[in-house]
Amino acid sequence: MLVNNKKGFLNKFYLFEILTGLKITMRNMLFAKNVTIQYPEERRTYSDRYRGLHYIKSVNGVENCTACMLCPTVCPAECIHIVAGERPDKEKYPVKFEIDILRCCYCGFCEEACPKDAIKLSNIYEMAVSYRDKGVYDKEALLVQRGTK
Amino acid sequence: MPKCIIDGKELEFKPGEMVIQVADRNGIDIPRFCYHPALAVVAQCRMCAVEVEKMPKIQTACSLPAGDGMIVHTNSDKVKKTRASVMEFTLINHPLDCPICDEAGECTLQDYSFAHGAPDSRYEEHRRTFIDLDMGPVIKKNMNRCIHCTRCIRFCDEVGGFREMVALKRGNSTEITTVDGKPLETEYAGNLADICPTGSLTLVDFRFKKRAWYLAKTKSVCEGCAQGCNIDVNSENGVVFRHLPRENMEINKWWICDEGRFSFKYVNAEARVTEPTVRTADKKLDFTDWKSAVAEAKAKATGKVLVLIGSDLTLEEIRAIQAFAKDKLKDAALFHFGTPGHLKASDDKAEDKILRRTSKTSNLHGAEKLGLKGWDGQGKYDSALVFRGGRAMMLTDLRKNVGGAIIGVGVFETAAIDSYEVVLPGLSYTEKSGTIVNWQGKEQKLNKAIEPVGQSRSVADVFALWS
Ligand code: SF4
Ligand code: SF4
Ligand code: SF4
Ligand code: SF4
Ligand code: FES
Repeated sequence: MLVNNKKGFLNKFYLFEILTGLKITMRNMLFAKNVTIQYPEERRTYSDRYRGLHYIKSVNGVENCTACMLCPTVCPAECIHIVAGERPDKEKYPVKFEIDILRCCYCGFCEEACPKDAIKLSNIYEMAVSYRDKGVYDKEALLVQRGTK
Repeated sequence: MPKCIIDGKELEFKPGEMVIQVADRNGIDIPRFCYHPALAVVAQCRMCAVEVEKMPKIQTACSLPAGDGMIVHTNSDKVKKTRASVMEFTLINHPLDCPICDEAGECTLQDYSFAHGAPDSRYEEHRRTFIDLDMGPVIKKNMNRCIHCTRCIRFCDEVGGFREMVALKRGNSTEITTVDGKPLETEYAGNLADICPTGSLTLVDFRFKKRAWYLAKTKSVCEGCAQGCNIDVNSENGVVFRHLPRENMEINKWWICDEGRFSFKYVNAEARVTEPTVRTADKKLDFTDWKSAVAEAKAKATGKVLVLIGSDLTLEEIRAIQAFAKDKLKDAALFHFGTPGHLKASDDKAEDKILRRTSKTSNLHGAEKLGLKGWDGQGKYDSALVFRGGRAMMLTDLRKNVGGAIIGVGVFETAAIDSYEVVLPGLSYTEKSGTIVNWQGKEQKLNKAIEPVGQSRSVADVFALWS
């Protein structure tokens, strides 16, 4: 139901409202601090809990991951692909470990599910790629330590 | 009939039955490690503890004969406490390395630990560690995970037929191993991985291939021999990963043989012909499309046609081929083939005292029922049509009987089609549904587990293109 609650003739021009709006505009334009920053020269600091680009933690050059497949199991985007294998110094390790970051929704479930403290979401948020296949990170790329978590 | 009361339910039993059997039959779940319906009762894991009224102490349900008027509680506080203690004791030496254990997801120990165990361990001493000895090509042992239920030892003794496994030493140092560390000899070794309630014994073949929970299970029948053991085909995304036995007390009980267990290998093999293939003028094989391949086959199947039907095909397929031959190929002679030396169903004998039959195709008895005779390699023909599932022997020496073209329909290996002119890729037992007849005359259903690999098509589709 449309209610006409404009009382007098003058009010019909919304003069008062326009002036109020202009006042806010002027105040923000002339006196308020900028909310934008000069990216990429300037950077914001994000909380440590920020969930960005993944990495697989390694200790003394050996990946923590033991290819238990819990992260691909829990991943709602089904973007983790692992092939398990065996090698002399490690009973089970990921021969192939790929994350399709274009499908990832950065929920962090993988990090939470991991029993080996291996898969981590770093603070890195710059993930633009020029080709789709570059959005699939392989094991080598994931083994770059991107944080201290 | 005498009656006992379990968890408030009045249940009938046959005299001599154990409480755990009565409970199993009536859907009451009593946890157990060492008890298996096929094996002797040893009552050594103590997990099946139950409380019986008027008995002062906790009893083990697997070794307690049901008595008339016996009142059993499977979930009282005392029972729960006992279970928790048994669980804690069982896990004392267990490494809990589920992340790298193939059993995880279908592990009795894991399930019971979750259901009845404590979330943490009070154990601070040194956990024992074993260096694993080889158990042969089928089974991988990890002794650290063993809980000494001795199911494996009893399986070899009582089902496999000879004592191959033993428990060395006693107490904390007990080690389950083969005699003198020799590789397992039984043809049924794969079953050890199924009955072992932990990941101590797992399949070498399946090692790290797939986590159990990813696999879809399709009820089917093994095509390894004329026994027709019931199996679950485990597959994911069109790839078959393993066969597990499915209980059928009239045929295979709980077991399957190793040959049948690993008979799925050709389904996703690189060597399988999965595109319609035609031999070109310069004698090379070339992939083509279905229409022209079938047209080529039709043009070449002339004169006196020999139709050979693999006894690994289903009844439905054989009937379709018979109808097709009657309709389209005048003057055709139809035979079945499968295992060398098996021309009649009566040639199929028991290969051992457990399951295996000498006919290495599953539907020999069905093929005979439909009036087919075995191919004896006699006679001269102008051309031949060979229908094959994945299991019947490869026919590579047909040249001496056939003057003209040999055409294959079904599952063929690239290496075995030198004498063939046209190969039309068909379906394996995992890609189709149908009926097969085992040596006892029992009709059993195959169910489709995966989509046809490559461009493979059913026999019916081929015939539809033919006309
Ligand atoms: S953050 Fe979420 S969506 Fe992304 S890989 Fe991990 S579980 Fe999958
Ligand atoms: S959950 Fe952790 S250990 Fe398991 S596969 Fe994923 S990264 Fe590897
Ligand atoms: S290897 Fe498995 S079946 Fe054998 S005693 Fe140990 S837990 Fe039981
Ligand atoms: S006995 Fe025959 S039907 Fe049974 S699993 Fe072995 S090959 Fe298959
Ligand atoms: S199942 Fe009864 S003691 Fe093991």
